[in-house]
Parts: sequence; structure tokens; C-alpha cells
Amino acid sequence: MTERPYWIAAGTVGWGAIVLLKAAELPQFDQYAYIGPGFLPSAVGAGLVLLGLMLAVQIRQGVPFEEQEAEDVSETHAVSYKALGFAAAACALPMLTMPKLGFVITCTGCFVLVAAAFKSERWLLNAAIGLAFSATSWWLFRKLGVQLGGFLPLLGV
Amino acid sequence: MDPITGLMHGFSIALQPQNLMWAFLGTFMGTAIGVLPGIGPALTIALLLPVTVYIEPTAAFIMFAGIFYGAMYGGSTTSILLNTPGESGAMMTALEGNRMARNGRGAAALCTAAIGSFVAGTIGTLGLTFLAPPIAELAFIFKPQDYFALMLLAFLSVSVVMGTSKVRGFVSLFIGLSLGLVGIDKATGQQRLTFGVPDLMDGVEMTVVLVSLFAIGETLYVASRYGMQKPNLNPLAGGIWMTKEDWKRSWKPWLRGTFFGFPIGALPAGGAEIPTFLSYTVERKLTKHPEEFGHGAIEGVAGPEAANNASAAGVLVPLLTLGLPTSATAAIMLAAFQNYGLQPGPLLFINSGDLVWGLIASLYVGNLMLLILNLPLAGLWVRLLFIPRPYLYAGILIFSLVGIWGVSNSWVDLAMMFVVGLMGYAMRVYDFPIAPVLIGLILGPMAEVQMRRALAIGQGDPMVFVSTPLSALLIAIAFFVITVPAVLHWRRTRKIAQSEDISG
Repeated sequence: MTERPYWIAAGTVGWGAIVLLKAAELPQFDQYAYIGPGFLPSAVGAGLVLLGLMLAVQIRQGVPFEEQEAEDVSETHAVSYKALGFAAAACALPMLTMPKLGFVITCTGCFVLVAAAFKSERWLLNAAIGLAFSATSWWLFRKLGVQLGGFLPLLGV
Repeated sequence: MDPITGLMHGFSIALQPQNLMWAFLGTFMGTAIGVLPGIGPALTIALLLPVTVYIEPTAAFIMFAGIFYGAMYGGSTTSILLNTPGESGAMMTALEGNRMARNGRGAAALCTAAIGSFVAGTIGTLGLTFLAPPIAELAFIFKPQDYFALMLLAFLSVSVVMGTSKVRGFVSLFIGLSLGLVGIDKATGQQRLTFGVPDLMDGVEMTVVLVSLFAIGETLYVASRYGMQKPNLNPLAGGIWMTKEDWKRSWKPWLRGTFFGFPIGALPAGGAEIPTFLSYTVERKLTKHPEEFGHGAIEGVAGPEAANNASAAGVLVPLLTLGLPTSATAAIMLAAFQNYGLQPGPLLFINSGDLVWGLIASLYVGNLMLLILNLPLAGLWVRLLFIPRPYLYAGILIFSLVGIWGVSNSWVDLAMMFVVGLMGYAMRVYDFPIAPVLIGLILGPMAEVQMRRALAIGQGDPMVFVSTPLSALLIAIAFFVITVPAVLHWRRTRKIAQSEDISG
């Protein structure tokens, strides 16, 4: 069976349409520079819509979509949605906790979740390793001048 | 400054103890990430960008160049010993190199790869030393329309060459271009595509997009399809180093590989994959031992490895002289230049001579360091592969968060990391190339500036874009890059359709 991911074409057209709509609010031409702030956004938006439609035609014709090769990927490319869920949760977690709970706690959580996605479910051990690793990174990069916020913003540290 | 004086001056900078230390750090990290899966030179440099605030530019670029070269070396070590190419450029090396290792000739394969890389890297750097200044001089006469045509060609060729499908390549490019438009328009001060979010007024951070596409996308992808085979290490013990016969069979492939790698690396969308593949094919044709190919022919290691490293030097030519990035790593190095308020191009050689020549001289030093780091220590580097995968990928995510959160402590960046990360996952599943997104994101705004300048000079006449011989030539090439493959494809499908008609 050929997979027909029409949603990608729809997404491309959709994003192109948003860019086009936003570009329409801006002047397309300019007296001095000839090209106004809206000209390129219009062109890029139109290009995206066109490409999305071409993609839809290709999908209709049954163009194959082969997954890219990567290391550590199983030969059958069998998908585990549970693992994907854990990994996605790890990537979403910072949005919820980073401003309030700070870098170290957030990263400890991410560490445990990614480890779980890779089928390591020794939660306590992973949390301990994650905490040590996050705290070390926080300290080291702060020394190098990277601003990562407080250690524990809740406690005011 | 003529190349010799410049280079001598560069060595006086690169050989200062603290710069030697940065070069060592860079080559060390580069080798490590070349060995490790899931992390490559572009990502590493992106993650280190926030650090640049505290390091002076010369030191930072010496380190970045070390990472760039080092990753090429590290990739070959794992290809040979474990049949796992850490970098895409090392794919061809794995074919013959791993066979050699299985036949107990791993040491010889490592040796020819390392020495070949050294030879090619040094010749490539020589090419850079003597070619870059004249090209930079030439760039002085470039008009805005020439730059615009050059960027147009880069856009088109990147999208056509990378990946398997042109439509998908262009979708990637246009997504990058659209992200590049976000922010305040520099010419008119109007907000574009900011959706009223103040954090977006400065534009989309290159680091955030790059880290999300590479690190987050890769983590999601590998986690969902994880199936790790225990690394099956081919023992090095008992192997013999290169014999006289090996040397005799290696030196020509080294030189031929360099000959492919350097110029192709310097072309837009050249990259490392095409020259390594070409080199392998040519060595296979020219060899006196065709029966050995597929069973561990030393030429098949020596040639591609040399091509791989020479292409790394080639990539630096358009980057330093024209400010034109031709690969993901080059794009992120351009972003690093911009972080320092530097614009690569002809003026860089005049205004920041210390930096450019220090960087070029450090490439010679780095190459030598890599040879020393890699030859005796190959067995140690491979141990890195035994890091448990759960911790490796969790660590990569934490470093990504340092890079993303460290840029501006903005919640919007975290949200973008999630969304772009999911996009990176989908791009891997449905085989969309990633480099065009980055090239579009970083070159798009630059192309717009040149386009406006050209139009201002031409007083609004669109014919200005083909008004100089160079711009006309480049636009013509760009036109053919698009149309020739399309016409060939059309003719082929028509033939097939006709023959089906006849047989039907």
C-alpha cells in the first residue's frame, strides 16, 4: 500500500496561505527601494502554496516516501508510538516548567523522559544522573557566560 | 597582504599557546562528535554559539574550524571499525574500510584514512590559502546584482541536489525563506510575520531552528524507531600497519580524492557526499585489483577519505571570500560571524586579517593535531560508542536546551523548539532534506538586501538583474539547473509511456 500523506501538502499550502495573508497587509512596493516589505513575503507565500499543490499532485500519483537512514534506527523502521510520546513529552516539558522551575529541574525531567523513550525505566537512577548532569551543565555554562536563569527560581536562588 | 605574508602572520597568531589550546579543544570535540551518532559539526557549533559572547572571535573560529575538520576524521574511524559512518561523508569509507577491518587489516585502513585525510586536508588548505585572496579581490567588483544571482544559484542548486525529490527540496527551502522573513524589515522598519509577538521582532534565531531540526528532530526520530545493535568491534590487535604495497596503492587515490573534493566542496550545494561517491567510483574503475573491491580494497578507503576532507577545505572558500554558505555547517559558521558583527567577504580579509589568516594557519595546525590524535588513539575513540543510548540522547537534549534557552531566555524559543522539532521529525519520516531550510533562513534576508540594492541602482528596472556579464551568466546557470533535469525527466517518462503504448 502506498502511503498518501496529504496532510503535509495541506500544511505547506496552509502555511503559505498564512504568509500570503500576512504579506497582503504590508505595502508591496516602495518609492525608493522599489520593493516594499510585503513583496518577498507574498512571493514566498505564493511559492509555498504552489509547492504544496505540486506535492499534493505527486502524492496522488503515488510518489514513494522513504524514511531517511539514521544510526541506531532498527532495520525494519518499526515505530513505537509509546517511545515517540515519551520523547515528545520531553521536548514539550520545557515550555511548561522552564520559566517557573528553572533549568536544572526542567532538564532533570527531560533527561528521565528521554531515557524512558530509549527504554531505560530505572526512574530513580535516571533522575539522579539527570540531576547531576543538569546541575553540572548549568554551573559550567554559567562559568562560560551563558545566561541560563537561576538554579531554583522558586526558592529565589 | 599576499598569501605568504598573510600565512606567516597567521602562524604567529595560531601558534600562540591559548590559540593552540582552542585548536586542540576543537579538534578533540570534533573527533568525538564525528564518532558519536546523533550529533554532527553543525549542531555542535550551533550549541557553542552562546559561548561566543565570552571568547574572542579568532579563538572561537579556530575552535570551530577544528570541530569541522575533526568531525571528518572521527567519522572515518567508526566507519572502518564498526561499519557505522558517523557523518554522511564517511559512508563510502564504510564500504571498503569495514571489509578491511574484518579481514584483520583495520590498522592499515585507519592509517590510510588518517594519512589521506591529512594529505587532502593540507592540500585543500593550501588551495584555500592561495585561492581565497584572489577570489576575495575579485569579489570587490561584484555588484549587488551579481551577489543576488549567486545567492539565487545557491538556493536553486541546494534544493535540486540535496535529497531525492526536487519538490521536497524546494518546500524545505521555502520554509526556510519564510522563517527568514520573520521580524522587523530592515529597510522600512515594518513588522513582518511577527503575529504581534514581541520576541519575534528580532527574527527567528538561527540557533533555535538548527538545534531543533537536527537534535530534537533526530532524538524524536531515533527514539520512535530505536533498535540498537550492540557495537560489533573489529579487533585491531594483530593487524599490520601500512605496508610498502599499501603506500603504493594509496598515494594516487589520495591525490585524486583531493582533486574531486576541493573544487566540489567549493561549489554551492557541493558538500561531501558527491565527491566521496565520485572518488569511490573512479578508484573502482582505475584499480589494478578490481577483484578486491567489495572485499576491502585500500583504494576505496584512501580516495573517499581524502575527498571528504578536501571538501571541508573547499567549503571554506566561498564562505570566507563571498560570505556564501554551501552546507549546513557553513551556514552556522556564517551565523557565528554575524554574531560578532563580522561580514565574511572581501572586506574581511582587509579589516580582520588577523582572524582570517589566524584561522587559515590554524587549519594546518589542526590537521597535524588530528593526525596525532587519531592514529594512535583510534581504539580509544571507538569506546565512545559504548555510551548507553538513553543517556547519550538525554544528554544531547540537555545541551540543546543550553543552546536554545541560553540565547535569550525566551519562552517563544522553547515553543519553537517543540514545533520545529516535530517538523524535523516529519522531515526525516517523509524524506525532506534539512540543509535547504537553513540556507533559506540565513541567505534569504541577505538576498533580499542585495535585491533591493540592485533595484535601487537600476532605478526599479528589473533588467538590472542580468545587466552585468557575471549576473547574466549565473542566472542562466540557475535557469539550467532547474530546467535541464526537468526536461530529461519529461523525455524519459515520455519514452517509457511510448514503449508501453507500443507493447500494450
